[in-house]
Amino acid sequence: MAMVELKQVSFTYAGAASPALREISFAVEAGEMVCICGATGSGKSTLLRLIKRELTPQGQLTGQICLEGVPLSNLPEKVSAFSVGYVAQRPDEQIVTDKVWHELAFGLENMGLSQQEMARRIAETAAYFGMESWYEQPVDQLSGGQKQLLNLAAVMVMQPKVLILDEPTAQLDPIAAADFTATVHRLNRELGLTVLVIEHRLEELLPLCDRVIVLEEGRLLTCGAPRKAVASLTGRKELLLGMPAAAQLHHRLGRSGESPLSLTEGRRMVEALLAEGSVPSQAEAESSPKGNSQPHPQRTGAVTGALPALRIQDAYFRYQRNSRDVLTGTSLTVQPGEIVCLMGGNGSGKSTLLSLAAGLQRPQHGQVEVFGQRISAYKGQSLYQHCVAMLPQDVQTVFLCDTVSEELRQGGCDLSALPFDLTHLMDRHPYDLSGGEQQLLAMARVLAQQPRLMLMDEPTKGLDAGARYRLGALLQRLKAQGMAVLIVTHDVTFAAQCADRCALLFRGQVVSQSEPAAFFRENLFYTTPVSRMTRGLLTGCVTVEDAAEALLDKARDQLSSAPREVQNQ
Amino acid sequence: MRTFADFHPVAQAAYFAAAAGVAMFSMDPVVLALSLAGAVGLCALTGGLGSLRWQGGMLLLFLVLAALNPLTHHDGVTVLLVVNHRPITLEACLYGLSAAGMVVGMVYWFRGFSQVMTSDRLLVLLGGLSPRLSLVVSMALRYVPLFGRQWKKTQQTQRALGLYREENSMDRCRAGLRVFSIMTTWALENGVITADSMTARGYGLGCRSHFRKVSFGLHDGLLTGLSLLLAALALWGARSIAYYPRLLAAPMTLRHWTGYAAYGALMILPHIIQGKEALAWRWWNSNR
Repeated sequence: MAMVELKQVSFTYAGAASPALREISFAVEAGEMVCICGATGSGKSTLLRLIKRELTPQGQLTGQICLEGVPLSNLPEKVSAFSVGYVAQRPDEQIVTDKVWHELAFGLENMGLSQQEMARRIAETAAYFGMESWYEQPVDQLSGGQKQLLNLAAVMVMQPKVLILDEPTAQLDPIAAADFTATVHRLNRELGLTVLVIEHRLEELLPLCDRVIVLEEGRLLTCGAPRKAVASLTGRKELLLGMPAAAQLHHRLGRSGESPLSLTEGRRMVEALLAEGSVPSQAEAESSPKGNSQPHPQRTGAVTGALPALRIQDAYFRYQRNSRDVLTGTSLTVQPGEIVCLMGGNGSGKSTLLSLAAGLQRPQHGQVEVFGQRISAYKGQSLYQHCVAMLPQDVQTVFLCDTVSEELRQGGCDLSALPFDLTHLMDRHPYDLSGGEQQLLAMARVLAQQPRLMLMDEPTKGLDAGARYRLGALLQRLKAQGMAVLIVTHDVTFAAQCADRCALLFRGQVVSQSEPAAFFRENLFYTTPVSRMTRGLLTGCVTVEDAAEALLDKARDQLSSAPREVQNQ
Repeated sequence: MRTFADFHPVAQAAYFAAAAGVAMFSMDPVVLALSLAGAVGLCALTGGLGSLRWQGGMLLLFLVLAALNPLTHHDGVTVLLVVNHRPITLEACLYGLSAAGMVVGMVYWFRGFSQVMTSDRLLVLLGGLSPRLSLVVSMALRYVPLFGRQWKKTQQTQRALGLYREENSMDRCRAGLRVFSIMTTWALENGVITADSMTARGYGLGCRSHFRKVSFGLHDGLLTGLSLLLAALALWGARSIAYYPRLLAAPMTLRHWTGYAAYGALMILPHIIQGKEALAWRWWNSNR
């Protein structure tokens, strides 16, 4: 019997004209790990919320959802609450109590368990998740990754049969995200837990899944084993952009058959292609070399001779008198018409550097100059008038109004200039949007400031692959108009796509900076999946386009050299 | 090692109630001096006395309070000097000193209490009364700092987006109000997600139990009993004291000596517990 089964499920939100989900049917067997993907607004979250009965939104539901063969509506309250575990996107807001141990106990207290039983389960869970060292801590001292692990543990302590995760790693840095994904996979493998997970970051997750479900505009596009499902996505460019690099390359080269998913499989594919010495001929037809449909960013470089948009010189900064220096003699320059991506681990001082550049903090030593003028020389708020604007890490802090349309009007945003469609969200409250939509709205608001220097903290957080790509293209356009952009990001693929220069911050100092191709070629860990996949096989490939191009070039060379060999004989 | 801070919160609460309660209803300078010394000693024992500046502040508070009484009250028969045609009397000075000692003593008692009674111990204490109440307190304890931080972040973001662009203070005020208004929305919205997370984990499905980490043991009972007994003795042996018109105290009897001794013992009780443990530790080490 299937663990979760959906039969012809359609759902229309109360007051909405068209259904959010249309006739979805699929079954998930016990112990399966299923990934649900699709663009923002394709109905993924709605689908998962329908399976967790307590969180089902207001609206019209037709069809049937069964848990172990029993329709959800017939399940006793306790069974439905405790046998389906749910973890959402934002780590902070799901935490109820103030201490780690109490958060773990919260669900069990609701179950009304005896103290002994609670103590046993909590001890077991805390040990499994490796939480002993922070068991007594207040929750606000935890890192984002720890908070999300706590949310997972607080659900697992109730021993659910099905685990539902709604973009659990969207707000985490890549290391914490990988950690979280590994933990979920371990739960699935070791405990036979059924897992349904929505995710935009598929590079690590997809190879681990038993099945992938792709939604498009509320319809089930495909459902099946990842290799087959991904292979069937030919022609869906935006969906493919979110797939693992190996799968993207597979499609790029126009190969048929099952798609590779992991880096190892991708590497094998490249090796095989190089050994065969031929790339399938369809590839030639599909991608006209050099001038392909997705414009490769033109790295024109900065406008030289002009005053630098931002110059940070030997900056030292600490938050408190007795704390350690977060920035220790940092120097960084951003020219007008240049996009600089700043990377580095958590606590390396990236966000601090941004707040210094935005004039929100003053360095204790060293200088920050914006367009040749020291920040302190900007009188009043003149720094923030058509000069500097910042997209903060927590985009919720940007919104002041009750509806999206009012927010856009107040900010004086020009919607036509944006490559995203926000029109269907106009009447919603900014806080009701999904993480990705909030990110886009905040972006619109910040762009309306018409800054000459834009500072962005993790701009791709929560965005689906299509939106991420379009954001990259938008930045290229703004750059061409002379805007300087400084981006703090963990998203290496995004940086490889749009940066003119990448810099690595380590313990408060910029330790290396160069143009992305060189930067990612030299780095072993801080590099793109494609670079890892093709290391030693192809030279200097950082993006999927690079790799596809290089492989096609090789094939062409071999084709043109082959006749000559014949002649020589 | 079991220190005073490791006892069950109920036992600790009993101790604090006993120690501070007696001092609160007494104007006996001996009891008040003992209480002040005991409170300072307990703070030093449990979490440190805090910065030198804080001690300075307390001293200043003591001096101001002590000086205030003779300057405003002119009862009493023993005139020390006359200022502005007003007599400064010995009795008013003594009363001022006692009252100041009581207030400063209380401040130290509360400092000690907050050092010992961390939020989760307070929860255990409340959980005994009502699991729901304890949950509410726990949520509030998490929420208040969270709100403060979010507010600060929002202000910074809005500054960088040019919200506070106008120079005059009226407009700044208006901008501040807007941030405040969105913060209330944020709090509500955040509350909705938290509520989702609570329902998702089965909150409100009846019989809620409470997970205590601390059990009430024999030594906890001993501390509770001893605290209450000593406090009762101290109250029984309390000496009646009148400051006005002249200082008048009942002559010392065995009963009063017992009262003082009991209160004194109550004051050093935590130190005895600690000392005993330190000795036990040393003994255990030497016999290994």
